[in-house]
Amino acid sequence: MSDVVNQGAMMALLAISPLILVCLTVIVVMLSIAWKRNHTLSAILTAVGLNAALLALLFGWTLGTVDVTSVLVVDDLSRFGGVLVLMSTLACVTLAHHYLEGYEGPRDEFYLLLTSAAAGGLVLVSARHMTTLFFGIELLSMPLFGMLAYTFRDRGALESGIKYMVLSAAATAFLLFGMALLYAVTGTLDFAELGAALSTRGSDPWLLAGAGLLLVGLAFKLSIVPFHLWTPDVYQGGPGPATTFLATASKVAVFLVLLRLFQSTLAFHENWWHDLLGFIAVITMLVGNLLALTQNDLKRLLGYSSIAHFGYLLVALVVNQGLAVETVGIYLVTYVLTTLGAFGVVTLVSSPYVATGGTADASPLHHYRGLFWRRPYLTAVMTVSMLSLAGIPFTAGFIGKFYIIAVGVEAHRWWLVGSVVVGSAIGLYYYLRVMVTLFLHEPGMQRRDATHDWAERAGGMVVLGVATLVILLGLYPTPMINWVNWVAG
Amino acid sequence: MTTFHDVLLILTFVFPLLGSLILALSFGRLSERASATIGVASIGLAALCTLWVGIEFYDQGKSAQTLTLWHWVTVGDFRPTVGLMLDGLSLTLLGVITGVGFFIHLFAAWYMRGEDGVTRFFCHMNLFVFSMILLVLGDNLLLLYFGWEGVGLCSYLLIGYYYRTPANGWAAFKAFIITRTGDVFLAIGMFLLYDQLGSLNLQTLLARAPEIWSQGGLMPQLTALMLLGGAVGKSAQLPLHTWLADAMAGPTPVSALIHAATMVTAGVYLIARMNGIFLMAPDVLLLVGVVGALTLLVAGFAALAQTDIKRVLAYSTMSQIGYMFLALGVGAFDAAIFHLMIHAFFKALLFLSAGSVIICTHHEQDMRRLGGLWRKLPLTYAGFIVGGAALAALPLVTAGFYSKDAILVSALASGHGVLMLAGLFGALLTSIYTVRLILGTFHGKPKSDNARSAHAGKGLVHGTPLVVLIVMSTAVGAQLTPPLDEVLPPGPVAEGMAVHILEFTAMIVAVGGVLFAGWLFKRRRDLIRRGMADPRGARLWTFWHNAWGFDTLYDWLFVRPYQGVVRVNRGDWINSLCNILPWLARASHQGLRTTQTGLMRHYAVSMVLGATLLLVFLLVG
Repeated sequence: MSDVVNQGAMMALLAISPLILVCLTVIVVMLSIAWKRNHTLSAILTAVGLNAALLALLFGWTLGTVDVTSVLVVDDLSRFGGVLVLMSTLACVTLAHHYLEGYEGPRDEFYLLLTSAAAGGLVLVSARHMTTLFFGIELLSMPLFGMLAYTFRDRGALESGIKYMVLSAAATAFLLFGMALLYAVTGTLDFAELGAALSTRGSDPWLLAGAGLLLVGLAFKLSIVPFHLWTPDVYQGGPGPATTFLATASKVAVFLVLLRLFQSTLAFHENWWHDLLGFIAVITMLVGNLLALTQNDLKRLLGYSSIAHFGYLLVALVVNQGLAVETVGIYLVTYVLTTLGAFGVVTLVSSPYVATGGTADASPLHHYRGLFWRRPYLTAVMTVSMLSLAGIPFTAGFIGKFYIIAVGVEAHRWWLVGSVVVGSAIGLYYYLRVMVTLFLHEPGMQRRDATHDWAERAGGMVVLGVATLVILLGLYPTPMINWVNWVAG
Repeated sequence: MTTFHDVLLILTFVFPLLGSLILALSFGRLSERASATIGVASIGLAALCTLWVGIEFYDQGKSAQTLTLWHWVTVGDFRPTVGLMLDGLSLTLLGVITGVGFFIHLFAAWYMRGEDGVTRFFCHMNLFVFSMILLVLGDNLLLLYFGWEGVGLCSYLLIGYYYRTPANGWAAFKAFIITRTGDVFLAIGMFLLYDQLGSLNLQTLLARAPEIWSQGGLMPQLTALMLLGGAVGKSAQLPLHTWLADAMAGPTPVSALIHAATMVTAGVYLIARMNGIFLMAPDVLLLVGVVGALTLLVAGFAALAQTDIKRVLAYSTMSQIGYMFLALGVGAFDAAIFHLMIHAFFKALLFLSAGSVIICTHHEQDMRRLGGLWRKLPLTYAGFIVGGAALAALPLVTAGFYSKDAILVSALASGHGVLMLAGLFGALLTSIYTVRLILGTFHGKPKSDNARSAHAGKGLVHGTPLVVLIVMSTAVGAQLTPPLDEVLPPGPVAEGMAVHILEFTAMIVAVGGVLFAGWLFKRRRDLIRRGMADPRGARLWTFWHNAWGFDTLYDWLFVRPYQGVVRVNRGDWINSLCNILPWLARASHQGLRTTQTGLMRHYAVSMVLGATLLLVFLLVG
């Protein structure tokens, strides 16, 4: 009897060992900082811990679905999300190490924050209960406030951190209120039980209000229109590595929990609910792309572009049949890779940290003018990322977008498909503008450059590797498709 | 399970790709020598792989093999594969591309010495070979199309290689735009095929076509017509032929590789590959032959009146591809491919020899300023003599004789007497312009300082390609028989007296043409001079010099009406209509931008408003 219990406990421990390892990393790095401050050591310890967690995650794949407690479940989907979160975090660590070299203040704590946020992401992708959802989201967001305002002597970073914090708090209020309403009506916070309750009493106004408020809270994190206004400001001001994390790991984790929520409440989907979400998807795509149109600040532009991309992703969620889950998986993989490439270049060009005249990062587009003539490989990475974001064939982005369109076409959701097409057409304009800027001859304006040894830095290698992956997966997407199919199936 | 053989097949295009990538990623840091070495070696390795693949292919009984590498995307039924197919046809083309391609690359290492941007040159050349190999090895039309566009791009880049002269840029534009016109037709053809037959796989297409379509029906005719549109664009046949002569603006090895040996014959490959479709559309197939016959005559006359040696060769290329189209049109697919191969040998030889002349005479390529070179450039001269003899199809000793003869016999056997006569007449023209080219370049007195101070090309890099191609252009080359029996339907066969008479006539035409031209240009130049003095003669010369005025015609037919429409439509209401979209986008952008105030209180309010709207919708809806 006790053997069985022990075995179950062992399984559970094994299954959440990545989370435990990440938390351990936080503690180890903290102790190491207390003992002796050493920037490189902290970075290495963090990277080692995250790699160990990643390995544990991959080895745990044989365990199948493990119910760790009634609030956490470790299954293929959460492992998939975990891989994406940990990979992005690792990329951020390598980028941060280079970036923070020039920062005079304390540097090591950044890794603490980053790792804690990653732990939040891991909790979030395994959440199957409102408490873990809430816990995960907050654990993910709180360190992000600190990360965004990390270089607090810079006005932009401070503004970014404070804006995100205050607005996040407001969003959390919506989230909590939504949960409270749901609990008040159903008496449960478990996803599956909520789903059952919703399917039987779907028209209860309190339930609907609860679900709506919940959606508002999550939509804020994903910067879905009309809860998107914070995105460009926060992206622009935050330090490169922090923004990279915000754009990749944080969004992936939140989207996956939204997906899980949707999966558990399948029966709740009625037509008008679809229509509402479809409408939100359409305006998100259009507004995101339109806002980016004449944007002259690369980080803001990427912020707007991420709004649009989550609009595309919503299409899969709205359809929620056929290949929808595969589509979400594939799109997230391609999105994360591409975004890492784009933000990686931004961060490398801004590295090491130098506070100059209000902006610490090379954010304005004219800083990148003529980059090709100075840093050709870096420009190649940026070009590939832009092409992939625009969804040009032979980049990973095309595969993702192809799936989105295929899903929409299969479900005969012509409005959605049309919006994806229109959105992509608008998108092409500003992505190409960025590319053209890279190749223009420099007029001798103020500019920033990546250091000469950028390609020998870990961050540089990661960025190069990511760009290669974007191309490879565009040409030979089979491994990714198989992996995602396996996760979804 | 991929075997060693498969790996070799993959390596044939991986080596050129690698070479291209290395050169591209070097960003000009490589020395000229290193660039050339990488560029040539990659093709050399590809050629070795091809040789090995070919030997094994023969060992395994010449059966077609397919190798599916991966599925590009898998969405429902749409599963385009990245797959290779090796059969006699693709092997023949593969051999030409890597074999002839290797020698041209080798020669280019000599030709490009001291030029700016050698790295760029070899990068694009390698990329070209990669695309061309994909074009012929792809087992589906999507991959073929990928290669097709890839070679088009490389052609554009290489024609405009000397981009500092604006005219070269325009020539590159012209080539790109005109071939793109054809590509649109090809794309439509592909859409039709996918729509009608539900696949893009070559074997599936050929198998399904007879099951679904009826012989001579509307759909096969239309599809074949569209494919033909793509083929004439790429292969510079009427009416999309005007770009090839201008394409000579590129370096001469480019003309040899792309605009003589390989890319321009892609159209022939396409039609031969889709033979099943064309056989179901007999009218279109006949049209292929007619296009070929017309082109070979038009180009033959044009070649008579050129002064630039490369332009003579360009028109002769068009004319020779016309022969291939003629062969295709009478159903002699194997004869067309055979001529394609032989033509690659001797035309590459001629272009390389022309390149040798150009370098040795300090970039002089106008016949009016050359002459008297045969003593100074013996090897080059030999190249021109052998290549020219093969071009003129001198009987028995040259390779060109065997391949052209096969075409004429097929034309006779198929009963298309007019096409056959066109072919015979074209042969006469060929002999005359070839002799004119050789006499004008190598004989007589040197007509400029550049010609007088010519110095012979030295070294193995210069000599080897010429010698090898000289050998291949003789009857030795004709001993290579492409293994096409199982791939292509048998062509029309004729026997008996008529064939012998035809062969004999062809010999007489070729030899007679050479003798006549020799007599005319050597002994009776006064006849020509008198003809030119006559205004009618001069006008004819100008007419032919401008290749029957097609450029002017197109200028009148397309460019001017277009400009006229533009002028009429100066206010441009269509554009204004279209401009509504960008205007709309910009206006919405401006409108939306005002929401980005940067003020947190506004953001918070918008969240509350959004949430309220959402709730209202949920509760009311």
